[in-house]
Amino acid sequence: MTQLYRIAFLLSVMMLFGAATSSAQTAGEPLLSLHLKEASFEDFVREIESKSDYRFFYEPATVDSLKISVEVTQKSLSSILAQVLPEAKLSFAITPQGYVMITQGKEFMANLPEGFFNREAVPTQGRPAARPSSGAQPYVAGEKDKKKATSEAKLYVIGVQRENASGRANLAGHLRDAKSGEAIIGASVYIQSPLLATTSDQYGYFSLTLPIGQHDLLIRGIGIKNSKRRIALYSDGKLDIEVEEDVRSLKEVLVEAEKDRNVAGMQMGMERLDMRAIKQVPTAFGETDILRVVLTLPGVKSVGEGSTGMNVRGGSTDQNLILFNDATVYNPSHLFGFFSAFNPDIIKTVELHKSNIPARYGGRLSSVLEVVTRDGNKKKFSGSGGLGLLTSRLTLEGPIAKDKTSFMVAGRSTYSDWLLKKLPQESFKKSSASFYDVNAQINHEFDSKNTLYVSGYLSKDRFRLGSDTLYSFANHNASVKWKHIFHNQLYSVVTAAYSQYGYDVNSENNPVNASHMSFGMNQANLQADFNYFLNSKHTIDFGASSILYNVKPGSLQPVGSESLIMPDVLQRERALESALYVSDQIDISPRFSVYVGLRYSMFNALGPREVYAYAPNVPKSESTILDTLSYGSGKSFAKYHGPEYRVSARFGLTEHSSVKMSYNRMRQYIHMLSNTATMSPTDTWKLSDANIRPQVGDQIALGYYQNFRNNTVEFSVEGYYKKMKDFLDYRNGATIILNHHIETEVANAEGKAYGVEVMLKKLTGKLNGWVSYTYSRTLVRLNNPQVSELINQGKWYPSNFDKPHDVTLISNYRFSQRFSTSLNFTYSTGRPITLPIAKYYDGNVARIYYSDRNQYRVPDYYRVDFAMNIEGNHKVKKLAHSSWTLAVYNLTGRKNPYSVYFRSENGQIKGYKLSIFGQPIPTITYNFRF
Amino acid sequence: MIYKNCLKNAFLLLCVVFLAACEEPYTPEVLEGQNNFLVVSGFINSNGPTTIRLSRTQNLSESGGPVMEQGATVQVEEENGIKFPLLETNPGTYSSNFLPLISSKRYRLVIKTAGKDYASDYVEVKQTPSIDNVTWKAESDGLQIFVSTHDVQNKTRYYRWEYEETWEYSAFYYSGLEYVNGEMRNRAPENSIYLCWRNFKSSNINLGNTVKLSQDVVSNFPLIKVPSNSDKIDRKYSILVKQYAQSKESYEYYEALKKNTESIGTLFDPLPTQLTGNIHSVSAPSEPVIGFINISSVTEKRIFVSRSELPLNWGSPRMFCTLDTVLLGEESTHFNGGYNIPIHELLTETNVLIGYASASRPCGDCRVYGVNVKPDFWQ
Repeated sequence: MTQLYRIAFLLSVMMLFGAATSSAQTAGEPLLSLHLKEASFEDFVREIESKSDYRFFYEPATVDSLKISVEVTQKSLSSILAQVLPEAKLSFAITPQGYVMITQGKEFMANLPEGFFNREAVPTQGRPAARPSSGAQPYVAGEKDKKKATSEAKLYVIGVQRENASGRANLAGHLRDAKSGEAIIGASVYIQSPLLATTSDQYGYFSLTLPIGQHDLLIRGIGIKNSKRRIALYSDGKLDIEVEEDVRSLKEVLVEAEKDRNVAGMQMGMERLDMRAIKQVPTAFGETDILRVVLTLPGVKSVGEGSTGMNVRGGSTDQNLILFNDATVYNPSHLFGFFSAFNPDIIKTVELHKSNIPARYGGRLSSVLEVVTRDGNKKKFSGSGGLGLLTSRLTLEGPIAKDKTSFMVAGRSTYSDWLLKKLPQESFKKSSASFYDVNAQINHEFDSKNTLYVSGYLSKDRFRLGSDTLYSFANHNASVKWKHIFHNQLYSVVTAAYSQYGYDVNSENNPVNASHMSFGMNQANLQADFNYFLNSKHTIDFGASSILYNVKPGSLQPVGSESLIMPDVLQRERALESALYVSDQIDISPRFSVYVGLRYSMFNALGPREVYAYAPNVPKSESTILDTLSYGSGKSFAKYHGPEYRVSARFGLTEHSSVKMSYNRMRQYIHMLSNTATMSPTDTWKLSDANIRPQVGDQIALGYYQNFRNNTVEFSVEGYYKKMKDFLDYRNGATIILNHHIETEVANAEGKAYGVEVMLKKLTGKLNGWVSYTYSRTLVRLNNPQVSELINQGKWYPSNFDKPHDVTLISNYRFSQRFSTSLNFTYSTGRPITLPIAKYYDGNVARIYYSDRNQYRVPDYYRVDFAMNIEGNHKVKKLAHSSWTLAVYNLTGRKNPYSVYFRSENGQIKGYKLSIFGQPIPTITYNFRF
Repeated sequence: MIYKNCLKNAFLLLCVVFLAACEEPYTPEVLEGQNNFLVVSGFINSNGPTTIRLSRTQNLSESGGPVMEQGATVQVEEENGIKFPLLETNPGTYSSNFLPLISSKRYRLVIKTAGKDYASDYVEVKQTPSIDNVTWKAESDGLQIFVSTHDVQNKTRYYRWEYEETWEYSAFYYSGLEYVNGEMRNRAPENSIYLCWRNFKSSNINLGNTVKLSQDVVSNFPLIKVPSNSDKIDRKYSILVKQYAQSKESYEYYEALKKNTESIGTLFDPLPTQLTGNIHSVSAPSEPVIGFINISSVTEKRIFVSRSELPLNWGSPRMFCTLDTVLLGEESTHFNGGYNIPIHELLTETNVLIGYASASRPCGDCRVYGVNVKPDFWQ
């Protein structure tokens, strides 16, 4: 390939001098007649060369699989090639000398841009820049008239040219996919000399201040072809760039994805996954699962296999802010956590922030997981879907108004009910379990400055076990975002979002106890974010947000006239959380940059509420209630506020290595109540109030980053130390459900976590993937006798998810474009457990006495997964593109203990080990796209 | 909580769905702990004899019965008042007759062992309401026993039940003979080994509460299910249900104990907790003492269920039994030692005795599994 470019370059230099003043050759071309069927490209060339004076230049490897059938009489060569080549994704150019250049990917420029040698004379408006031999319209980009830059060869003239202009000008625009019109996130846009770079944001927007003059603007990103645009920048202007998706070719592909973000970017403790990486990781049920992949990242752990609750750097599962198109998702799982609640077909990117959390985000202690869906195809109607053993999904998308408005709807459902009915055991036949989720969204571009994004999401689970109790839970989310560009350097996004989560438990077996229990909460947020690209040294973000929470903490209602259940309704809780923030990213020199941010958050617990007042300095209990205070509607009865600092710095050691450090503080005003180790559907959420203080966490992190082999291999080491104050731990034997004074069951615990994460990542080439090692500890202490009874005599003890050693390998090997394999390996230390240490007899029954909390560990965990991905053929015209995924989860069949427990059976104490997926689980999934 | 249990079932269900082996026995490396904590079991009975048992904890790997705590001084103390001593009637078992406790007063248990003093918190006296009825229902997979009770004063709210099952069963063969002192003779009716009774005390913790109900009514609380193929219901089955009113704290203690020992381990179950009872070491407050003292009366109710009331297709699988022939003169070698039981005489067509039919002991002697003395209460 490189050799081809070398030849092409030499040739082009040769051509350029020869063709300096001529224009593209279309007139006067000799006419040809050809009759070929399934001919090789070489035959095709030989035929033409024999009939004319044309000489062909091409790389044989790019055409060796090409078969040409052509039936033309008296046509020009350019029209024949235009008919034959696009199917094979090849471009051509014909020089005045009659040389025909066939290239793959990049177009060969047969002519210099007009005015190349005569810059002074070029008028700035309406004047064609040079064009290759394709039929596109000539184009000059201007301030008013914003168009799409699709060609690498054209010179795009931006702004109004003035005599002797000097200084700098700003260039801004959107990066989009040429096929679907999707915004491209996180791609680097830069010039090389001087090195000035920026990264496209989540709307694909970039803004870059450059010296006036001509530049080669380079664009690199995951999943797109590397490309460049030639620009002549004279004053501030806009340029929307459309780039091609990186379709894996039969031969080598060079993806230089965000090549040096690891080293050159400001972010630390941040991982961005795109769907391509996610889809390569095998899962237990053959369905792509973003949370499952997030769990393979260093610093992210889960308690057990069937759980999507994440523990990020020693934080508990409620300390993660999960945003789905900017709306908060409270329960990101389906079917007890065996599936994640996000339909993989519509996801564009998943971003996880573990440290150095931007000031824009707040409200959770440990991490921000941002899930962004695709915009929907703006160019043509298309669809995709999949059939798996347990679920099926379908997505439809397309333009409503081409290039302006697009829509996308997606649905996913399960048929496990059917599976349950097939089981032999009676009680399972009465069971049912089902879930579905639906997404719908519309994006509309009013004009080049205003874009509206509307997105809705619904997920619902229902399950009945045995014949007695019916559970259901549901997430409802909606968000509206309006993006407005004031001018090149300043844009705003105003977001209104609404999230609702709730569950119901119905039990109707015994008429006397028939009941209905429910929990529900919602939040409405309004947020305004501003991005100001002040100049090449400062990027300033500022904004404000407000969240209104409404929680119905629980109610129990009788069902039917016979029921003796007493209605029991916990008081509603309301609160307002507001925040202001400002941050500045300062590029002091190309080597040294600093991010300084401050977020100030305020929380008001609002009435109407009746609040217990407890005796001070003794553990809160029913017997220490002194008084009941009553507050009217809308009255604030508890107020918390405080600054959240977000600071980080990057120092480039060499071109390929850097050191970064960060400090941030987070405050969290909402807490999950659960006395089980994982997230379960009956977990409830509780707002801070007069008796429950907000959680505060501080984290400092230090990292070293180095890229090798032309930035294709990334290496990073990050260490962190984290302190958490006032997070909730449970007192022994706590009762959580329908408790009117939950503050008597929980205790404000202290936590600390520290660790080192080492990661080696290769995202390009036939063999790609990552390997990571994490050492981390997370410890808890309850040592204040004024708060609760002491746990483990007030000493530090490991939290439920303390797993010191963790090794993960994710590897993919692509044999060909149609066949790739993936092999993953995970090892981690077993999680802590409280073990029985003694037995005794209570009457005639043997019972057990337990050790200190979390004093022992379950056996270590390891697992190997394997997957094969077989793509259908690559004919351009066919009904649907399809692929098959065959995967084996837990290839070695290791019975990893999910938990270890002891039971007293017939007076004897027996230990048991529970493992799920204790044997290899093969799955097959059929995916399609049309 | 019922919710947690359901989730655990959900979990097992998923295991089955995904065809993966779920539960298997597991023994961690032997755990050695400091294993001589004092264990106090029993309760203070407000209208009957009180029995308290003292023992010590053991390592999980240790075999053998409990290590009893002998020679201790045990007494029940009224708050600012009278003391009632308990006497060691068996090693580690301390009892008293009826204690004249006053329901408005509070009492505690005080224990003095070699060198150490222990005392419980002061506890109120709870009155246990009588059991309304014990009912049963033949469900598809077995015999379900329910208990119902109520307290018109709405004061009890927390209940704990124990039960004793007794059942009548028979040997496979009716033995009409006995071989005593080298002599074969007809078996006297009082020596019959055909019909026997066996009993079993509950080992699980049965708790119920009515705090979420507008009235203090327990309606058909499911206590135990006897599987339809159990030998307990081969002839006649009886259950004696004992009801104990609990204080809220005592209920919570038993609930935690139940969680700890009967259902823990899946991720949906709560974490095991170190139990904190209401008995403390006076000299070393951090020393764990296991047990919870509750003061209440006991109420009881017994029911009987006959085989004839239950579905015809129920029953336990029959034992495999055959008869051997023992010729005259072989009796002593065959029947001495009691491994074989003579069933009946073998006669020729002309009624000449030629030997005896013999069965192995489990086939002919019901006492292998129980006693052939009919309990007093048996109807």
